[in-house]
Amino acid sequence: MSVVTLPQDDLGAGDWLTGLADRGGCVARLTSLLSELPIRDRLPAVLWLDIDRFRQINNSFGYVVGDSVLVELCRRLERSRPPQSTLARVGGDEFVLILPNASGHEAERIAHKLVGAVHQRLSIGTTRMRPSASVGVALGQPDEDANELLERAERAMAEAKREGGGRVSLAADALLPARDGKYLAREELAVEETLHRALEIGGLYLDYQPIVRVTDGVTVAAEALMRCRVDGEILPPGRFIPVAEKTGLISHLGDWCLVTAAEFVSRMQGHGTALKVAVNVSRVQLQNRSFAKSLHGVLAYTGIQPGRIELEITESLFMDPSEVVKGNIRAALAAGFPLAIDDFGTGYSSLACLKDLPAAKLKLDRAFVVDLPVDRRAFGVARAVAGLAADLGMEVVAEGVETAAQLQLLGEAGINEVQGFHIARPMNEGDLIEWLS
Amino acid sequence: MADMSDEEHGTAGETGDLALNRQLEASLREIGIPPRPRILELIIIEARAGEPDFNYLAELIQADVALAAGLVKVANSPFFGYRQKTRNVRDALLMLGLRVAANAVAGLILRRVFPPSVQLERFWDASQRTGELAAWLVKRLGVRYGVGAEDAYTFGLFRDCGIPVMMRRFSGYAQVLARANEDSERPFTAVEEAELPTNHAVVGGLMAQSWWLPEPICTAIRRHHERAVLTDLDAGGPAGRQVALAQLAEKLHQDSSGLNRSHEWDKLGAASLAVLGLDGGAEMAELETEAKEFLAHLAMAL
Repeated sequence: MSVVTLPQDDLGAGDWLTGLADRGGCVARLTSLLSELPIRDRLPAVLWLDIDRFRQINNSFGYVVGDSVLVELCRRLERSRPPQSTLARVGGDEFVLILPNASGHEAERIAHKLVGAVHQRLSIGTTRMRPSASVGVALGQPDEDANELLERAERAMAEAKREGGGRVSLAADALLPARDGKYLAREELAVEETLHRALEIGGLYLDYQPIVRVTDGVTVAAEALMRCRVDGEILPPGRFIPVAEKTGLISHLGDWCLVTAAEFVSRMQGHGTALKVAVNVSRVQLQNRSFAKSLHGVLAYTGIQPGRIELEITESLFMDPSEVVKGNIRAALAAGFPLAIDDFGTGYSSLACLKDLPAAKLKLDRAFVVDLPVDRRAFGVARAVAGLAADLGMEVVAEGVETAAQLQLLGEAGINEVQGFHIARPMNEGDLIEWLS
Repeated sequence: MADMSDEEHGTAGETGDLALNRQLEASLREIGIPPRPRILELIIIEARAGEPDFNYLAELIQADVALAAGLVKVANSPFFGYRQKTRNVRDALLMLGLRVAANAVAGLILRRVFPPSVQLERFWDASQRTGELAAWLVKRLGVRYGVGAEDAYTFGLFRDCGIPVMMRRFSGYAQVLARANEDSERPFTAVEEAELPTNHAVVGGLMAQSWWLPEPICTAIRRHHERAVLTDLDAGGPAGRQVALAQLAEKLHQDSSGLNRSHEWDKLGAASLAVLGLDGGAEMAELETEAKEFLAHLAMAL
């Protein structure tokens, strides 16, 4: 394994025992990486690794065995590190690994890998032992120099040792706001961190927005909307959903949303109220082969009728050619879940396909509502969609209804149900129960 | 029927109508949902607010004597290794922190949300032993991927919580379970899925999500019969560690009690040992001896 931009040989005289770069070489490598910052979109990460209780090994077995242990551990670290990283020995039993391009999660994962490698059983002559290591992880900051970054990593390592050793600790670093999109990856990491915390302390919850029948004002359903609140601060869905999608957490969030909404339906049933809840289903969920198992699992766990949970799927997903997605849509339908086409009119689907879609409901996107009543053409679209849906045996819900005039025109256009601030804002479970009564 | 979950429906004393409550109970049983404990919900709402009021939470928990005693016991338990000892709920909450306390409360309430039966008691006892041994293993083998003793204990308790749900939902599930235990080839959940539209791991994972257990625990519950969670460490991470710890804990318990009714160790044992960095020979024999001592110690303490 070699270092790409700066060969290990060039990093100063190096360490006589292990042949690794020494502290000087380590600082030089980091300085070089930090100076490339304007042309790099990611900052380097530093892993500071210290062998736990190494002095004890030296004291008990003597320095010859101690040195052999170091050489062996060094070999293991060499084997476990990623190709483009730099490994240095910066003290008697202290090593630094520099990762030129790593996210917090990657750095943490590699740190655990190093801890695991060190912890394998080791035999020197007749002596058998199981060494352990503590690792501190620090992610570079834009205005930081090499020594500051190393110091933060070392402090994090000390924290890991205080917690008992054999573990990884992350250095605290100030979370940076996105500046011209340059450090966006870092901002996303912060959102991801908040999301993990939300999942840990119940910071996720659902609000519900009523969907009302136009003819008599009866609430026929409510759409479940995911919310994230940590330490009293609310993170808008526009920020956490994309990050959840990127990191794969969305599958977990999607399942959580389904089971939480189903439990609410079940509780309402206990109160004698038959409510239908609409739940958004993401692309990642539909691409997951175990989606149908989750749906059936929710039914098994909560005991509700599937007809009470309406799955909202965007029209582009209905058109998705993937067999897994198609299979999941078929399975949802077979299990008895009603389907709705979400954000209708914003995708590229042709009207010809509409007749083949297995949906019972169509949700007209707010884009067609916002221009009412000024734009008569928008009214024309709403009326045409309502007519088409009626012929196909579908219900139509208009989203984003914000004024009385819009509500009236949508009624005239033949739209069945409406949803929007004019009817009711999204509200918590308690307020919805009150709204319903 | 869970007492804690009934607060929102009013108490029998308030309505004075026992028959109505019985009906409610019957209807809920019909719905079959193990109700998410109200107390858990209140803890979570406090945690979400940013500045939790520990006095208020302590009061809530104290209203349930068994729960309060259980929580203090958990905080003082040697698995968690807190140095100071506590006698009251408020200190226990402060010591554990809200997240661990919420998990501990969930664990304490778990048994109550299902109608009691002798079989179920035995089932929960086994889960508890798995949890305790897994926590003991963390003390013995160290914390990796952030999986601490508390997490290992909670995972052990909840790992199979989908089974009683499946029992209530699908008639004949007991037979399916027996077949899954006897099958030495297919993954446990594949046997379930051959006859049912879902499996106990998926249902258990959903229940854990609904009870706000941390995401790595939910993922581990959902995937605890998958070999890939053990072999694909990059994807597995904390979930793999959890599954391996509980698998070994179960094996140690079965060896010491002489009970073994499944083939899970044959299917997942080697991969679990690899995840934990253990070899199957002398090291395992040593662990078995120590585990027996630990279990004997536990039995004495009871």
